[in-house]
Amino acid sequence: MTTAFPDQTTDTPADATGYNFAYLDEQTKRMIRRCLLKAVAVPGYQVPFGGREMPLPYGWGTGGMQVTATVIGSDDVLKVIDQGADDTTNAVSIRRFFARTAGVATTESTPQASVIQTRHRIPETPLSRGQILVYQVPIPEPLRFIEPRETETRKMHALQEYGVMHVKLYEDIARFGHIATTYAYPVKVNGHYVMDPSPIPKFDNPKMHGCPALQLFGAGREKRIYAIPPFTRVESLDFEDHPFEVQGWDQTCEFCGSDHSFLDEVVIDDYGGRIFICSDTDYCNQRLDADARKEAV
Amino acid sequence: MYVAVKGGEQAIDQAHSWLDETRRGDTSLPELSVEQIRQQMGMAVDRVMTEGSLYDPELAALALKQASGDVIEAIFLLRAYRTTLPRFLASCPVETDRMAIRRRISAAYKDLPGGQILGPTYDYTHRLLDFTLLANGERATTPPADDTVENCPRVLDFLNSEGLIESPQGQDEHKPSGTMEAPDAPADLTRQPMDYPADRDLRLQALARGDEGFLLALAYSTQRGYGRNHPFAGEIRQGEVAVEIVPEELGFAVIAGDIQVTECDMINQFSGTETEAPRFTRGYGLAFGNAERKALAMALVDRALRARELGEDIVSPAQDEEFVLAHCDNLDSSGFVSHLKLPHYVDFQSELVLLRRLRKEFEQRREANQP
Amino acid sequence: MTTPNQTRTPKTPALSLTGLCGGFDDPVQQSQQVFRRALTALSEPGTLQTLPAADAPTGIHPAAYQLCLALLDAETPLWIAPALKSEALVSALRFHCGCRIVDDPGRAEFALISPDIDGELTRFAQGSHEYPDRSTTLIVQVGSLEATADWTLSGPGIDGTRKVGITGLDPRWPGMLADNHRRFPCGVDILFTAGSVLMGLPRTTRVEI
Repeated sequence: MTTAFPDQTTDTPADATGYNFAYLDEQTKRMIRRCLLKAVAVPGYQVPFGGREMPLPYGWGTGGMQVTATVIGSDDVLKVIDQGADDTTNAVSIRRFFARTAGVATTESTPQASVIQTRHRIPETPLSRGQILVYQVPIPEPLRFIEPRETETRKMHALQEYGVMHVKLYEDIARFGHIATTYAYPVKVNGHYVMDPSPIPKFDNPKMHGCPALQLFGAGREKRIYAIPPFTRVESLDFEDHPFEVQGWDQTCEFCGSDHSFLDEVVIDDYGGRIFICSDTDYCNQRLDADARKEAV
Repeated sequence: MYVAVKGGEQAIDQAHSWLDETRRGDTSLPELSVEQIRQQMGMAVDRVMTEGSLYDPELAALALKQASGDVIEAIFLLRAYRTTLPRFLASCPVETDRMAIRRRISAAYKDLPGGQILGPTYDYTHRLLDFTLLANGERATTPPADDTVENCPRVLDFLNSEGLIESPQGQDEHKPSGTMEAPDAPADLTRQPMDYPADRDLRLQALARGDEGFLLALAYSTQRGYGRNHPFAGEIRQGEVAVEIVPEELGFAVIAGDIQVTECDMINQFSGTETEAPRFTRGYGLAFGNAERKALAMALVDRALRARELGEDIVSPAQDEEFVLAHCDNLDSSGFVSHLKLPHYVDFQSELVLLRRLRKEFEQRREANQP
Repeated sequence: MTTPNQTRTPKTPALSLTGLCGGFDDPVQQSQQVFRRALTALSEPGTLQTLPAADAPTGIHPAAYQLCLALLDAETPLWIAPALKSEALVSALRFHCGCRIVDDPGRAEFALISPDIDGELTRFAQGSHEYPDRSTTLIVQVGSLEATADWTLSGPGIDGTRKVGITGLDPRWPGMLADNHRRFPCGVDILFTAGSVLMGLPRTTRVEI
């Protein structure tokens, strides 16, 4: 590489689309990459980053998109889900965005994906080492609904002053007999930071603990990035007399018969009739395919 | 029914083509040109440039056309474009003293050096619908006298020279808000996230980009007693200023171009302490183009946000820095409010499961308690 | 306020391009690949990540040089240990990254060092309890990196424990790393390099000998 007059390392590789690979310019990517390295080094801590405007509205996944645009390479295979499904409009829109701006391969299969961007779910199929799960985060601050001021919540994290969170959860128990938080249920990461897992149902919280995949969180509007490295302790906050528990269903999936996945309720007629189906469409399809193969044999 | 929720690809394509058709309207009518919007919808263009924080009337007009006249959508288009632009240099501060003035008024003095120049304003129009315009008639106009004034002294400088008002820098509250790299440079919230407490440079940038309606309401609230600070419109001036840059290789300033701006200097209630004589304080507003409502509102909110610096009690929304700055950006707010349109059925399902369980337990308790 | 027509302080002396070490041929893709390995290195501490072979200025490991090319720019002050601070390295980094070389390690976002540094790791920016991210990332050039040997690592990113061997570290290092770990959430994060190989050791990793 040593030459008399080398080319300067420039940042202008725009192709036919008129935009850089994966949309973001290289300087922005470097800034986000440096933040991501700090995020994995301090698990659960929200690293402030110079979030950029994206061509999608704030609140629609701009944080997750900036993280994905920053980590993704031409040999990655991308999966995008919203509510667990690959074919919901916002998932389609984001998948198309990366297919167009980065030319990456896309998939609906959880095991085949190297990068998965998600809104509101963790796939049912267990993730494996080497995979990256990118969460879209609306409000990254778990203490925000207790204390709206950033200056205050920052102090509370610095002092690990998390008593208020327990008080809030305990008030639920006093009123309803249960902790009434069903999604975006706060977790403690590696025994230190209390973290918002994004609005996934608490059903998915146990999947974060010791997960072999790298979990990255991007909040675009609030300009925060945080991370959970693989094999990290992630505990859902609870009480000795009220241990954390996940929601369950009496029904099974109408399509694949699953009795252990998160089910969406679908109203099917005007008389209140309803069925329950897997929210994770890929998982449901995998089970249906496996059944079909068994029958064929 | 299930199918209607899913199957995104086709639905998106169809929505987009329908949108294109709707935006164009009746094709028997001539299409609106970007240049027409730029020339005849100038104040909408100015607002899009200000809140889009990009001075480019042509692209702002294009954004308005593409957005069917939805100003916030147009601001979004311009911002998403701006964010991809390389940055070469930071300009020098614009010298509004040397503005080529089209309009300049002061509510604090009856007359003053440089004079009051009304300029093109809606202020004294009677708000009667003009049916000549409806008939597409060109109204006979008297060409305005070309009376732009240059190098006009600022009203607040008269006061400043007498020591009656604080200096433009305000009080000492200097926490360097730049980067590790250049700690004394003004902060830029398009590169770094907002950090509280925010210094005035950062606050002014946020307000300049902030939603006009939101700032207007906050400014109004200060006039009605929520953080009252007795404002006088010291000076409002509008016109062209030169933008200067100092290219690294030259080492001296050159003019990059002229831009239209509206500036508002507000004179506010005086403060004083045991050791310091009382004097007026300032609020400042600046916007691209002809945007007087925005500049006035910004100046009032700027002054309200200086409560901490001036040692005033923070008791009202307009004085609350985190409240104002975290909520003034209309892309933040419109994005997050509109994201409620996205599917939330997983979270909703979680709530349903809990609610059914709570109701069941409630019924069981009630039955158990019945004799 | 600044006045117009101000003159700027003189720029740093002009660069000589003769014999300058090259940068990435394909900055977009290569930066991404190097970053991903650095990300894996810090999120799975103790694993060995191999970067492509590449030229580097004399005395600088290809892995260390590529990390600089991928992560540094005008926004990242860099501190270089005196022993490594050659004209060739400084010119190459200024040319390709445009980064500023600083004299105070406490103001550096990145530092390129060899293990024989003077003083403690606390010379570098540690971050604060409010902003633990505002700390220096160290790129430390060592003799060799191996997957099995005398150190046992545990912490986030490690399923149980992981064995590593690092040569070229003087006896102060285990103590310095233990102190660094204890300072959590403050502290520095380390990327060790040996030739083209890279290993991460963030502040969360516990080292036992």
